[in-house]
Parts: sequence; C-alpha cells; structure tokens
Amino acid sequence: MSTVTEPFVHPALFYANTDEYLAGCVPFVREGLERGEPVAVAVPSYNLELIEAGLGEDAARVRFLDMQQAGRNPGRIIPGVLRAFADSHPDAGRVRLIGEPIWSGRSETEYPACAQHEALINHAFTGRAVSILCPYDTGRLDERSLADAYVTHPVVIDGAGRHSDSPAYDPDGLVARYNQPLPAAPGGIRLAYDYDAGTLPTARHRSVAEAAQLGLAGERLDDFALIVAELTTNSVVHGGGRGTVRLWSEEGRLVCEVRDAGHLTDPLAGRRPAGRDQIGGRGLLTVNLLADLVRTHTGGYGTTIRVYLAL
Amino acid sequence: MQSPERTAAGAPAPASATAAPHLAVRPLPEGRGVTLAGEVGLATRAVWTDVLAEAVEGGRSAYVLELSEVAFVDVAGAEALAAAARRLETGRRIVLHDPPRTLSRVLEMYWPGLPGIEVPTP
Repeated sequence: MSTVTEPFVHPALFYANTDEYLAGCVPFVREGLERGEPVAVAVPSYNLELIEAGLGEDAARVRFLDMQQAGRNPGRIIPGVLRAFADSHPDAGRVRLIGEPIWSGRSETEYPACAQHEALINHAFTGRAVSILCPYDTGRLDERSLADAYVTHPVVIDGAGRHSDSPAYDPDGLVARYNQPLPAAPGGIRLAYDYDAGTLPTARHRSVAEAAQLGLAGERLDDFALIVAELTTNSVVHGGGRGTVRLWSEEGRLVCEVRDAGHLTDPLAGRRPAGRDQIGGRGLLTVNLLADLVRTHTGGYGTTIRVYLAL
Repeated sequence: MQSPERTAAGAPAPASATAAPHLAVRPLPEGRGVTLAGEVGLATRAVWTDVLAEAVEGGRSAYVLELSEVAFVDVAGAEALAAAARRLETGRRIVLHDPPRTLSRVLEMYWPGLPGIEVPTP
C-alpha cells in the first residue's frame, strides 16, 4: 500500500511559559541546522531574544525577523516573510521556519486577518518541502485564538511535546467564517468618492490630500498613493468598472476603504511573491506589502477592502 | 520616428487636484530621450509604453527619461519600465532623471539593481 505524504509540515505549538516555548522551538531549530536546512525565526521581539539566547552560538546560522514589524500586516507574512525566505533557497532539500503571527496584543480589528493568514499558509505551501512551526501562547491568548489554531493547523503540539492530529482542521472553512461584513465605519468620514476610469486620478489625489490632512507624511504618503491607485484601478479593470473610496481615521490609524462589484475568488490573491520576470499579479501584493493591515469582505455581491496605515 | 507632442487626453491639463489624466511627451535634443510631464496610470499607460518601446527599439546606449514633472507612476507603469529594461542588450540602459518616489519605491521593492536602469544621483 502506498500513500502520498504531504511534504508541507505545519504544526501549532501550544506553550504556557518560557520553558515550554524553548523546549518546543530550540530543538526544532537545531534539528534543521543539523540537517543542513535553511532556518528562519519570525516571532515577536521578546521571543526572538529567548530563542537567540537558547541557541547560543548556533544563533548565527539562523535568520531572525521581528514578526511585530515584518508581519504587522498578516497579509504580508506569506509573500514578504515565509515565501520570501523559502523561495530564496530553491536548492534546499527542506526549508524550516518558526512563524508566530498571533500575540496577545493583536487587536479585534487585526485578528480575523491573522486567523485567515494562518489558514492560507496551508494553501500557499501545499506540495513543498517546508516546515513551519507556529507558537501559540496559551497563557495570554483568548479561547477563540486557541480554538482557531486547531482549525488552521493539521497537527497541534502541546507543552509536553505531544503531537496530535487536529480533528477540527478546516482551513477553507475558517477563511469563509471570517469573511464577514466589516464593522460600520465610525463617524467622521473624511471622504466618500465614486470613481470610474475617467476619475481614477481624482480618486487618488483626493484620498492622498485627505490622508495628508490627517497627518500621513513622507514615504508613507507615497506608499498610500500606490495603495489607493492599485485598489481603485482594480475596481475599474476587474471590479465592474467603478467603485467608491471612503477614508477616515480610527484609533490612531488612517483607514481607506474601497468598495466595488468585483469578487475575489482566489484566496491567495496578493499573497504570492512576484518573480522578477513576472508581468502582472503585483496589485494586491503591493497593497499587502505596504499596508499595516488589510481587511477584506468579498462575495458575489461585491468586494470591500479596508487598508489601515498607522498615523 | 518621433512625434513632437503626445498626450493621452488632449492638451496637457494643469496639475490640479481635478486634472484630467495626462502624460505629455517632449523630445530631448539629438534624440537623447524624452521629457515627460503628468502621471503614469491606467489612462496614460499607452503613452508610457510607447515611450518605453522607443527607448528599447531606438538602439541608443543610453535613453534618458526626464521625469521631474512626473508626479506619480503606478505599479503597472514600473512593471512596464522593468520589462523594457530587461529587453535591452547588455550595456544599454534607460536613464531616469529625477523619478517620482512612487516609481523609485516600486523599482526597489521588485527589481533592485536591475542592470538596464540607471538613476543618476542629482
């Protein structure tokens, strides 16, 4: 009897304290190093320090990334962190990463995007010889985050190192469950503008002018211009030819919402890194790489995308 | 073959917040390249790709794009530029004078160090 084994390995690691964290992470890294695998660790800065100290001299052979910076937008983690590292080692037999995208400071606004990201990792790496260990802080994360980890990971490792298959594993179901209408915008909408092909530049000019009024400046204002251009151009080219852009500020962040009649049917849209020679496929990717947070609601009724940038 | 003045939407509009999309092209002396004014986006893509085609097919070793009056280039515009630069034979290049930050940002994100593109420091 032969079975086809999925080469992608994606366990969640449940840890309650520093000892459990190190007991789960350090041997995982060392095993990779012993086998000659490229290893990267992308976790919050306070945990980076723990793993680095735990590895001692071996730390020099590991790539460390502060997930609170590199992965503050969950939609950026697959293209900008995980695949960026895995794809840069095409000749490796296996690539190994630790990725901790969910920490206790993640807001209610961020969380659905975090959970969807964890689910989409499974699609992004299907068929590839990659191992990604995702630590979950059972002492500080809420029950929903831990329950969702069973849905987004085929295997869960507990604090004692026991591996168990997750019967709840259903990444597509989770992506759909969090594909919900976005909460109503608060008062104080600064801009609501309907655009079509002829008024795309005006939609961008007006959005950028309002963003500048709200305090966005310098390179981030240029990044925002690119983001608005990509989202509104997508509406014109793929989303029914027209759309509405709205803009406001919320909890110290600029929020820009683009709504159109399009339907995003590709769950990995904007999460595949672009090859140098590739033409197209950089619109939503650019939005994910530049924004601090992206939330999406999509269906046959249309698509709403909200982009958040820290002010 | 070079037309003296081309715009995507008639005469160049003033660069106000409600300007119609435009991208004006003026030749530089001796066929060294062109000066562009306006924005590169969906509505002006055809003008931009025509300029890039001329840069590639003209055969000059260095083709100058004077961009100080270009306020914005979108991702597809940067992509078209990178594709044009890749079509140049070794040693040939497109020289960008004073590109807008949006263009520099996207080139740096996706095509750092592309050999066919030169950005002289002013």
